[in-house]
Amino acid sequence: MMDVDEPLDFELEDSLLINPVVSNKRKKLMGLDELLTEHYKEQSKLIENEAKKQAKAQKTYDSDEDKNCKEAMLASLLDDCQKQVKAISSGEEMSEWGLCVFGQQKATPPLSFPELGSWSNFQSFMNNELNSLVGLTSEQVCSFLEGLLKNGWLLRLILKCGRVEKTIAVWTFSLMLYSSKEELRSSACEFWCAILSSKIQIDARPIEIDWYPNYSELKRALEIYGFLFNSSSSISAENSSDCKGPPQNIITWIKFTAVYCQIRCKQSVLLTSDCQELAAVIICLFLDRQLQGLSVLMRDCMQSVISSFTDEEWINSYSRIAKSVASRVPLDLNCLRAVQCISGVDTRTKHLKSVVAFEILVNCFDDKVANEEGILTWLISINVKEKSCDFFKMYIYVVLAENWLRYDEMFSEKPVIREMWGLFLRNCSCQISSTDLRPQASKVRNKAAYLLQGIGNS
Amino acid sequence: MEKGRINRGCMEANTLAIIDSSAEFHNHKDSQEAKDDRIDFLEAVRTASVVPENGTPPTKKMVDAVFTILRAGESLELIMSSYELLNEIEMHFPRVYISESSGNAPRELVVVKEAWLPFMVSLDVMSSEKETDRRKSCPLLDPNGFHELILGLAEMAYKTASQRLDTKFLGNMLLFQYLVNVLEGDFVPHINMYKESLNWNILRECTLNMLLASRRINYKVLMKDCLYTICALCQDYAGNYNESECSETSSEKSSENHNTDVAIALFEVQRATCMAMQKLLIMSMELDMSKQQAHMLCLTNRSRSDGVRTPVVEIVLDELTYHRNILPTFLQVFNDPKWKLEIIVQYLLKYTKPSVRTRRSNGPSENSTFLGVLKSFSDSSSSRNIIKKLGVEVVQLLLAHAFLAYMSMASQQHLAAMPDCNEAVLDSSSVVEISKSVAAAFNSLREVDEKIQISTLGKEALFTAAIIISTL
Repeated sequence: MMDVDEPLDFELEDSLLINPVVSNKRKKLMGLDELLTEHYKEQSKLIENEAKKQAKAQKTYDSDEDKNCKEAMLASLLDDCQKQVKAISSGEEMSEWGLCVFGQQKATPPLSFPELGSWSNFQSFMNNELNSLVGLTSEQVCSFLEGLLKNGWLLRLILKCGRVEKTIAVWTFSLMLYSSKEELRSSACEFWCAILSSKIQIDARPIEIDWYPNYSELKRALEIYGFLFNSSSSISAENSSDCKGPPQNIITWIKFTAVYCQIRCKQSVLLTSDCQELAAVIICLFLDRQLQGLSVLMRDCMQSVISSFTDEEWINSYSRIAKSVASRVPLDLNCLRAVQCISGVDTRTKHLKSVVAFEILVNCFDDKVANEEGILTWLISINVKEKSCDFFKMYIYVVLAENWLRYDEMFSEKPVIREMWGLFLRNCSCQISSTDLRPQASKVRNKAAYLLQGIGNS
Repeated sequence: MEKGRINRGCMEANTLAIIDSSAEFHNHKDSQEAKDDRIDFLEAVRTASVVPENGTPPTKKMVDAVFTILRAGESLELIMSSYELLNEIEMHFPRVYISESSGNAPRELVVVKEAWLPFMVSLDVMSSEKETDRRKSCPLLDPNGFHELILGLAEMAYKTASQRLDTKFLGNMLLFQYLVNVLEGDFVPHINMYKESLNWNILRECTLNMLLASRRINYKVLMKDCLYTICALCQDYAGNYNESECSETSSEKSSENHNTDVAIALFEVQRATCMAMQKLLIMSMELDMSKQQAHMLCLTNRSRSDGVRTPVVEIVLDELTYHRNILPTFLQVFNDPKWKLEIIVQYLLKYTKPSVRTRRSNGPSENSTFLGVLKSFSDSSSSRNIIKKLGVEVVQLLLAHAFLAYMSMASQQHLAAMPDCNEAVLDSSSVVEISKSVAAAFNSLREVDEKIQISTLGKEALFTAAIIISTL
């Protein structure tokens, strides 16, 4: 098939690499739309000006070349300038994404379970002759059961017996979410994941489970970890020095939630609205820098929540999830992170990604424009030459719009939108000069140029 | 096809331009912009290759760049993004797969020769000067580099929890996990195809075999290092440490180093690394087993790559014999039931009566062998003998873990009918039989010495056995 080892044909590429000057495309577009023609005229003028300027710049640079010492001086000067520019621009809002989605932790519920002694297997073992070797008394029940859980005996027994009694289910669930001992948490989580998986695995004998946690239990755990459900209370991570993040227990919460959603097809455990909320919550988790290391787990969880909807549920759900996310994220790099964390590999996440980006974009314009053309018209109307142009915002718009359109499966069937998008990108890539030192200007320019090539290719 | 190539070349040039420009303009590699550019690059590679349906695989240069980012491990964000991307590429564009059989044509192993591989291995023993030069500038790992990576992990694993709160360490663990993932993706279709066709050459050419056969590494030392690293890495989460102390140090540390992001993921990543290392051992064991079979069928030749290698199981057994202090940790963390049972049975066979000692079996033991070992405890003189040699604690530990592994095997068979499992059907009657024998073995330990203490694990095993005997 494709030969990677072969040298690349640079001539072919070069024609695409050079900033796509529109000359050959222009003819084709001429008759399209009044709006478009107008913009193109304006733009071509600007490009010419740009070209002249660049030519000039080139000349002066060339004449300097023979003066070696001057060159060195200039280089160091340039270095200083760049450093200064960097210092200035790093002071701008373009720093890093990151929200504090966890606040003060609450007290964990008590983990004593006196009713554990009523576990039927205990009762039967007390009278067993083998107890003469073990010497188990009813006082030791709790610690003994912890051992059974930690070392995996409990799971083996349950898989053999085929049923989990309510006491055991409640007890393991609490340990999983609230225990301060890593070992107990993870074995309880393994226990739950295994018994739940028995319901969906082919060839497996489904385990009868006498008690299922409901969504309020999952939500309560998050609250105890300090999760800020209220959007206004989540603060930018930089401003809060006491942003401690969640306890380690969040790991088992994420793992459990992932598996719990998967069994929705067999057991009605979570309502549609619960899953909508869960999806939004998990996207929020992605915004906390402290949880970055768990991104593989979080992505699995999100995937599992999203695929747990039936088709019908999904149609009614995605826009609610998107609106909830959009209303929660601040319009800075965090909103880009929120879009980026949605995988976009399968149809549903593609869809969700597009809609989330769109909803955030709508929020950017305070709901002044809500339809697709409206947004693009607005974007095209931004004059990047104007001194007051906020390139940080521009960058956000470019990335949001890119995600909205790239993951919109109807995009190829919307020629007008396509043209408008191309025009907007050309505005950004051609009208911003490469020497523009305004903060973020080059970032916008490079991004637009990159995206433009993608359009050229397709 | 022509169009495909243009697209790929273009994709390469465009995406790589994102990081190239940053290298040119900002000499400061650590600058935020440079990091942002790398994030953008990763995102661009992802959208260009993994996201589109029927997307084109990224070129070698592109994956090289992604891999370089993971190896450099400059920030947690870059580590996570590059790690996830590499795994996604691995999943979307498998390097090796078995073709579906069409009509009469048999299934075949398809190896995409031009696909990118993070390893530099070959069956050639000689390394030319040229290659050594190339290695310097190239991010790929040769067998030596792979071993060094493991050694690095081992070194870190012995440090204190707060010293381990290090982004680089986390990055190296993820790098290792990715490499094992690659080895597995390559190994599984190879061994399945070998089992189908009994063509040793197929298995001979798998990356794992080439890696282990490489003369650049000491294979035995590598396997030992894996074993010790597993035991060291699991110390924390296996409960042998004081959690409150660790969380204190981590929150202390966080105020100065902002390492809470590493702290929260550390145990999880350590656990996954242990599992990856276990997977590496198990794949090597499976490879050994197939190799032995091929030897017996005279399918191998005595060329260097097929040279004699001590089976991994024996290396592990020797270590566990001569360094008995790692035995409890190893048994606690090693959770592959089939091989765990095999190792324990072999271990116990070393100490049971010579008459019971059979020729080292070539595969995982039949359950009768475990049963056989258990039966040997019914004879009080033989039990006394074992206790004398091993100590009563170790005997209980081995018995309990073997029982646990047996139970896991039984329930795994329930969960997923394993295709290549040995015919020994573990039905409930044999589980009951084993449970009875375990109980009897413990009873006879008590008979040998009235005063012996039954360990916690032993008590749990007895409890489990009792429940199974009484309810099934």
